[in-house]
Amino acid sequence: MSFFLASFSSALHLVWSLDPELLTIVRVSLTVSGVATLLAALVSIPAGFYIAFGQVPGKRALITLLNTLLALPTVVIGLLVYTFISRRGLFGPLDLLYTQQAMIIGQIILIVPLITALTIAAVNRVDERYRQTARTLGADTWQTGMVVLREGRFAIVAAVISAFGRVISEIGISMMLGGNIKGFTRTMTTAMALEYDKGAFTLAVALGLVLMALSLGINIVFNLIQGRGGR
Amino acid sequence: MILYHLDRISQCYAGRTVLAIDSLEIEAGRIYGLLGPNGAGKTTLLKLLALLEPPTTGRLSFAGCEVAYTRSALLALRRQVVLVDQHPIMFSTSVGGNVDFGLKIRRIDKEKRQRIIDEVLETVGLRPFKAAAAHELSGGETQRLALARALALSPAVLLCDEPTASVDVENQAIIAGLLQTINSTRGTTVIFTTHDRLQAAALAQQTLVLENGQLAPTTYENAYPCTLTQGADGRWYALLPTGAALALAIEPPSGPSSATDARVYIDPEKITLHRHRDHRDGRDGQEAGTTLSGTVILLMAENDRIRVVVNIGLLLVVLMDRADYQQHPPAIGETVLLEVIAEAVTLLNAGRR
Repeated sequence: MSFFLASFSSALHLVWSLDPELLTIVRVSLTVSGVATLLAALVSIPAGFYIAFGQVPGKRALITLLNTLLALPTVVIGLLVYTFISRRGLFGPLDLLYTQQAMIIGQIILIVPLITALTIAAVNRVDERYRQTARTLGADTWQTGMVVLREGRFAIVAAVISAFGRVISEIGISMMLGGNIKGFTRTMTTAMALEYDKGAFTLAVALGLVLMALSLGINIVFNLIQGRGGR
Repeated sequence: MILYHLDRISQCYAGRTVLAIDSLEIEAGRIYGLLGPNGAGKTTLLKLLALLEPPTTGRLSFAGCEVAYTRSALLALRRQVVLVDQHPIMFSTSVGGNVDFGLKIRRIDKEKRQRIIDEVLETVGLRPFKAAAAHELSGGETQRLALARALALSPAVLLCDEPTASVDVENQAIIAGLLQTINSTRGTTVIFTTHDRLQAAALAQQTLVLENGQLAPTTYENAYPCTLTQGADGRWYALLPTGAALALAIEPPSGPSSATDARVYIDPEKITLHRHRDHRDGRDGQEAGTTLSGTVILLMAENDRIRVVVNIGLLLVVLMDRADYQQHPPAIGETVLLEVIAEAVTLLNAGRR
């Protein structure tokens, strides 16, 4: 118990003193996961909206496939991307392995199905009467779509936040594609795993605290958005 | 001018025909009341008239031109017709923002839009709520805002699906007044559905009645579910929900051997009303049909006729000539006798309610 308390106390001190190494790790994590979430959202929201709103052949099969992909383990994605970007892979000449770009690619693959599936659910939950009302008031298909998107906006933003929470806390992709290089691809989760291996718990606990604080912040925002959407 | 012409229109959902109209013409500038029991096809017809759905079969003409269900043609036509839902849904913006929606997509400049918004909100009595969140309005206010949202677009046709069904009496009167004002001041054709026969009679210049998806040749008044049964005398009777029996002149179509559900229509113009005293004095014992006793609960002047609502256990409408009424005026609360001849009774649809 005293060991845990000592580690916890040292970790708090690291956070409080804004330790440069800790800050670098947090910055890399936020950058990689933030960019991945942003790019995934740019692809997934329109895709999800189109699947839900448009006349897409094989819609049911597509939704089933997306739901299946939600359960894809991060190490499988890491392995898959690795086969493409390793030196012998198709994109080997691009020299992406063990870069932040590689981590971003992996994380995008991880959350595209998540944001798409949640966007489909969000659009489907929008009351059918919004479409009818928009159409009877003279809206064309595009304008009707914008009405539906507007009414489902809180649920869609919640989907993006949920996806960010997923990538900031994943470890498999970051470890396999980033390589855990200090100051470059070392994220909070990979650093914690390394510190644990070394038996140095102080930084691991400090990073754990930051991750938990971020997670708490994300959940607070998530709840606020859901609350507004539910009004 | 004929605004709508429906020619052998039918609408089917999942293989079930919910609407089948051989021919219907709707004139511009009039108020139509669309009556019928639940599931009769009223909302389906409104959606067809709002051009929100193509019919399964048949041709629909609007303003003299057959409707081509192509995206561009529909958009132009749809901008002349607005449907106000029974439970209107408001966009998650302000009251003013809701009215602004249709104006904005028509690319009307901002200054003009603001003027129209203020004007229509004033008309429906919601001007003070312009900046309020639309979701926070009460049911009656929401219905009025939906009317304002439609009114702002100056449509040629305003379709209202049970506009007063879910509002209080005060708002019912306001909304009925608004529909009349819209029709009289703007010449807008108004078509509304309702279950309230008296409201339809008071508001509409013409009523249409739907029964099982088909136009029924009745006024919807005095149309009741009943049970057909054969008496010991071999004659068929329609038992109304009150249990009062009416002798029927017609045979049930399928000739069932046991009791059958049906709907029966009693023509209000063919019912003779006798004040209790007058009838007793003048009766000769030669009456045909059925005589019912009831209490007068409502009298309404309507052009050259007087609408008398009599409570016989259910509300039965009798239409009296003004001259007859002046000779023997019944009073509210007075017990009267109603003579229903067999020819006044029509079986609408044996076997189905």
